[in-house]
Amino acid sequence: MAEIVGGIGVSHAPSLARAYDQGLGDEPDWKPVFDMFEPAAQWLADLAPDALVVVYNDHVNRFFFDAYPTFALGVAGEYHQADEGWGHRPLPDLVGDAALGWHVARSIVADEFDPTICQEMDVDHGIYSVLPFLAPPPWSTPIVPLAVNVIQHPLPTPRRCYRLGQAIGRAVDSYDSDARVVVIATGGMSHQLHGSDFGHLAPDWDNEFLDRLEADPDSLCDLDHLDYMHRGGAESVEVIMWLAMRGAMGERVRRAHRAYAAPMLTGYGLVCFEPERP
Amino acid sequence: MSADDPPSGNAPSDNPPSDNPPSGSARFDNAPPDMTVFDGERSAAGYRINKLSASLIDPENRTAFVADEDAYCRRFDLTDDERRLIADRDWNGVVAAGGNIYVFLKIAATIGSNLIEVGAEMRGETVEQFMATRPMHGGG
Repeated sequence: MAEIVGGIGVSHAPSLARAYDQGLGDEPDWKPVFDMFEPAAQWLADLAPDALVVVYNDHVNRFFFDAYPTFALGVAGEYHQADEGWGHRPLPDLVGDAALGWHVARSIVADEFDPTICQEMDVDHGIYSVLPFLAPPPWSTPIVPLAVNVIQHPLPTPRRCYRLGQAIGRAVDSYDSDARVVVIATGGMSHQLHGSDFGHLAPDWDNEFLDRLEADPDSLCDLDHLDYMHRGGAESVEVIMWLAMRGAMGERVRRAHRAYAAPMLTGYGLVCFEPERP
Repeated sequence: MSADDPPSGNAPSDNPPSDNPPSGSARFDNAPPDMTVFDGERSAAGYRINKLSASLIDPENRTAFVADEDAYCRRFDLTDDERRLIADRDWNGVVAAGGNIYVFLKIAATIGSNLIEVGAEMRGETVEQFMATRPMHGGG
């Protein structure tokens, strides 16, 4: 059977994409951020997974509020890059793992999660801003994207995200394949993008979140959305998606890498976990 | 319904709900004054602005917007007030009218602006003033 061999939690942001495209890795603002990806990219290359399940959110580039899905699962063989208003970045399309996607669909629906099933799903910076840092293109490792509504309240609860991850874990465990799978969850840590508190950063909270994600994720499931928004700013609530990755990893994890920097608009966190099986 | 009321309905015992009531029931009355929560009411109120903004993922629509902003806004049935907010680049006003930052950022992209310029404007600062608040520049 397939197995989950790693999990990554990572902040996504449009500014990350711009820094990558403009090659700002030597700029003082950006060097700490570029540097924190290097060990994670090496770790991922060494793991050489057969597929990635990526939990992220769509920033109203694939879905609009006429029908905005709480969960949306990709089952396609390829995913195009969304144009978010600035035009396409010079990056290739993503390879999709349709077989694993459909298996995950069957498994998590049987497990009482009911995503919108997508045979086309243009993907935005929720994946595209971080994937080039984690794995230099061209990309050959196929992905299964799973989008979560973290924009238009009511949002799924933190615990629901954790349980979604557990369901993803059961899906991979029941996949009749020898595939080795890494689960990635993206989502900015502290940030607020509107009003007088635009640019809100909360490094202390972000680091507490990283501590608790590793050792005590249940305590993070007990917080409600406003708890997250008070601590990290309104838009930081999207970090609840990291709980899906943590849920997929099983009860105990071994940390392979952790880094944090907050130079500009968003807390950039990065953790790599390996499952610690009894 | 207050935040202290229990969730309605009976959950099956093998799938207990969170100890917390659904935050949807709290209606975000406790949100800080400088925080605007994009909930259903706001999404409904801002539907026209957000629909226009989302249309700008299409390059042809961006060209049409730049060519004649007011005509483009009328295509989406924006009210006079909504058209004025966009014409004035009054981003705080757009938020108050139900605009979502992730969506109306596409207007900024279309007119050659960016998130930091939009954010500085919302804070009532110049970009230079805002950048001075960032950790790498001595602020934060």
